[in-house]
Amino acid sequence: MWKVLPLLAALFAVAACASPQAATPAATQTSSLQRNAESLQAKLRRTPEDAAAWAGLGVTQVELARVTFDPQHYARAEKALTESLRLKPEGNGEAYIGRGALANARHDFAAAREWGRRAATVLPDNAAAQGVLVDALTQLGDDAGASVALQRMLDLRPGVASFTRAAYHFELRGRLDEARGALERALETASSPDEAEFCRLHLDKLAGRTDESVETTRQLAARASSPEHLVRYGKALDEAGQPVEARAQFDLALQQLRALGGDDLTAALIAADHGDPAEALRYAEKEWGKRQSVFTADALAWALHVNGRSAEAVPYSDRAVSLGWRDPDVLRHREAILGSLR
Amino acid sequence: MPSNNKQRLRRGAIAAAVVAVAAAIPAAQASSHREAPLIAADPAVDNTDVYAFTSPDRPDTVTLVANWFGLQEPNGGPNYYPWATDARYDVNVDADGDAVPDKTFRFTFSTDDRRGKANTFLYNNGPVTSINDDNLLFRQNYDLELIEPGKTTKLVKGGRAAPSNTGPASFPNFGAIRDQATTKIPGGGQVYAGPSEDSFFLDLRVFDLLYGGNLKEVNQDTLMGYNVNTIAIQVPKTMLALKGDPKRNPVIGVWSDTERRTLKLDPGKATPQGNFVQVSRLGNPLVNEVVSSAPLKDAFNGLEPVNDAKVQALLDRVNDPELARLIQTIYGIPAPKTPRADLVEIFLTGITTKAGGPIKADLNSQLNNADVDPKRFQPSEMLRLNMSTPVSKNPNRLGVLGGDLQGFPNGRRLTDDVVDIEIQAVVGAALTGKLVPALAKGDRVNANDVRFGDRFPYVGLPSNRAVNSR
Repeated sequence: MWKVLPLLAALFAVAACASPQAATPAATQTSSLQRNAESLQAKLRRTPEDAAAWAGLGVTQVELARVTFDPQHYARAEKALTESLRLKPEGNGEAYIGRGALANARHDFAAAREWGRRAATVLPDNAAAQGVLVDALTQLGDDAGASVALQRMLDLRPGVASFTRAAYHFELRGRLDEARGALERALETASSPDEAEFCRLHLDKLAGRTDESVETTRQLAARASSPEHLVRYGKALDEAGQPVEARAQFDLALQQLRALGGDDLTAALIAADHGDPAEALRYAEKEWGKRQSVFTADALAWALHVNGRSAEAVPYSDRAVSLGWRDPDVLRHREAILGSLR
Repeated sequence: MPSNNKQRLRRGAIAAAVVAVAAAIPAAQASSHREAPLIAADPAVDNTDVYAFTSPDRPDTVTLVANWFGLQEPNGGPNYYPWATDARYDVNVDADGDAVPDKTFRFTFSTDDRRGKANTFLYNNGPVTSINDDNLLFRQNYDLELIEPGKTTKLVKGGRAAPSNTGPASFPNFGAIRDQATTKIPGGGQVYAGPSEDSFFLDLRVFDLLYGGNLKEVNQDTLMGYNVNTIAIQVPKTMLALKGDPKRNPVIGVWSDTERRTLKLDPGKATPQGNFVQVSRLGNPLVNEVVSSAPLKDAFNGLEPVNDAKVQALLDRVNDPELARLIQTIYGIPAPKTPRADLVEIFLTGITTKAGGPIKADLNSQLNNADVDPKRFQPSEMLRLNMSTPVSKNPNRLGVLGGDLQGFPNGRRLTDDVVDIEIQAVVGAALTGKLVPALAKGDRVNANDVRFGDRFPYVGLPSNRAVNSR
């Protein structure tokens, strides 16, 4: 799929001209993350023994992977963090944060929790260390632990990173007005175009005003080939009666997920919706074995249902909405499961 | 998502068909693990520098300058560099030495964004020749309160902050705009809130090199051409001195901090609005570089000066700075004996003979104020100014160490070369009274590239040229 990238880049350039509102900041400002990485690299050319700078570069590369969806940044993050820990193996909180962020990005949430705990021990007042913990604990299904870490993060550093996580916390609990409020505060605090774009995207989602037309989703997927954008484009194609083209986007999404460190949860959901029920169940059970969260509960419920085991799916579906999560897809799964038992 | 469903229903019959189709297609799986930003910079509330000096042209007044939002590229559109509107920008003064502010000048900002009405994303819609020019579409206003124990006074309501300098075509005469944004306050003072050229000059690389290299690569002002957001306050000395008497009580401590409102996840019946949290703090320059350490840095930004003396890690770092040991390793300049009571004076008590310190001078500790109760004195990190020191005719960039008592660490003037001063202090120059020759050249950046003004707010006009075009 990498051969597609130059084409995508060209499409991005066109999109940047066509849509001033969305593209102006990105087009006129160098990404602050990129600039940060470059300045750390320059610093490390002068003083290659600087463990903190290597750690900073590692974390920045993880952030760049998040923004660009380019998995090459993971390799660079890995290298920088390894170097940091080689130079300073003990008490290297910044590198622990980087390791934790990288593990979260690769969906190795148990490892991320461990790195997050180590980071928070060394750097008890560091908001990013709490952020690593929030992400890991949320995905592992430790909702109480995640809330404690998140409140601590908010109290240490009210800002984009903690407000966006607070929005997700509220959303998972069905508290949508509060989620919106947190995202609005995050947007106000955002200091880079990618942060602002993240906030706007999720505000649009909450308001149900995302544009799911073929043209818009195609442009989005072209701008940044995130799995999510590819799936949205695929959905739009499907609705427009182009199932073959849609299928190609889903496959691309899956490939991209694997490259970025996707897990069995996502594979389970895609398999369930693509008519491979046995595989879906296998993936869902495997992921449920690793972590019992609302996400894996939903995936397992849905996989059981598409295998004709809807009655067994009910407790998992109950679990998926137990916090109050009202995600449209989760609700769609739940309606189908309960409907088939009526 | 009930609200979502409602909206769908409102769209009518077509919506029903869409929902039916939706059941057949895959979910937006990736949203189940939302990857939010983790390391989000927050420059709008980050303090960069604080200055405090007797106003050279109005020696009965003191000027306090606090900067935020460092490293602003002059061409940073389309949003440029607004003040945060959910934050409190504070400049604090402690005259009685208990490390609790006696006076806080608190600035809170609001935004008046007219771009939507004008149907443009441009900051200004043509040249801006006055602060009320209709072409200026993104505006910020502020309220200034003076907070004293048990009393809050509004000094400015709806003051106009000067806008970011978006370029020579937009702002043909930024000086005029800045003058219009300078506001008188009751009691004979004035304030300015808006951009300025960063007054700080240094080679930032000096710290990389001290922490692992040599001094070969210095002499480049790494902040040249960048702007900051500045709050400048000029007030009569009588307003700041303990008991309003700068003759008996000439010393004040000054620091700045920023607070941002947090969120409460479980507010009970209340709205999820949390308390204001201190997210940044600054008194002496370069404390994070010279004194602090990574774990301490996080804590320090949230720490109030009144608690400084309880944080053993902070006291340890002042008494035994890593920097002195590194300089010994790299340059063979012996690190002075620890504990470093001289540095405790410079950073935590002010220079005085009344706290048992080794420097034989009474310069800038609140302990030297006649009406201070020494029992209530609390060592804490802040910039201390003796307002009775006369204005130097020929300021020496090395301040007190250069024989010029009006300079840093006795307050801080815009022209003080604080990097060189602090490095000299760390290797013991304040103890011996002699500069260490091997480090005499320091970072070789001895002055700012932009000339400072002769009158308030003294700071340089904000640059309007891209940094990389210089």
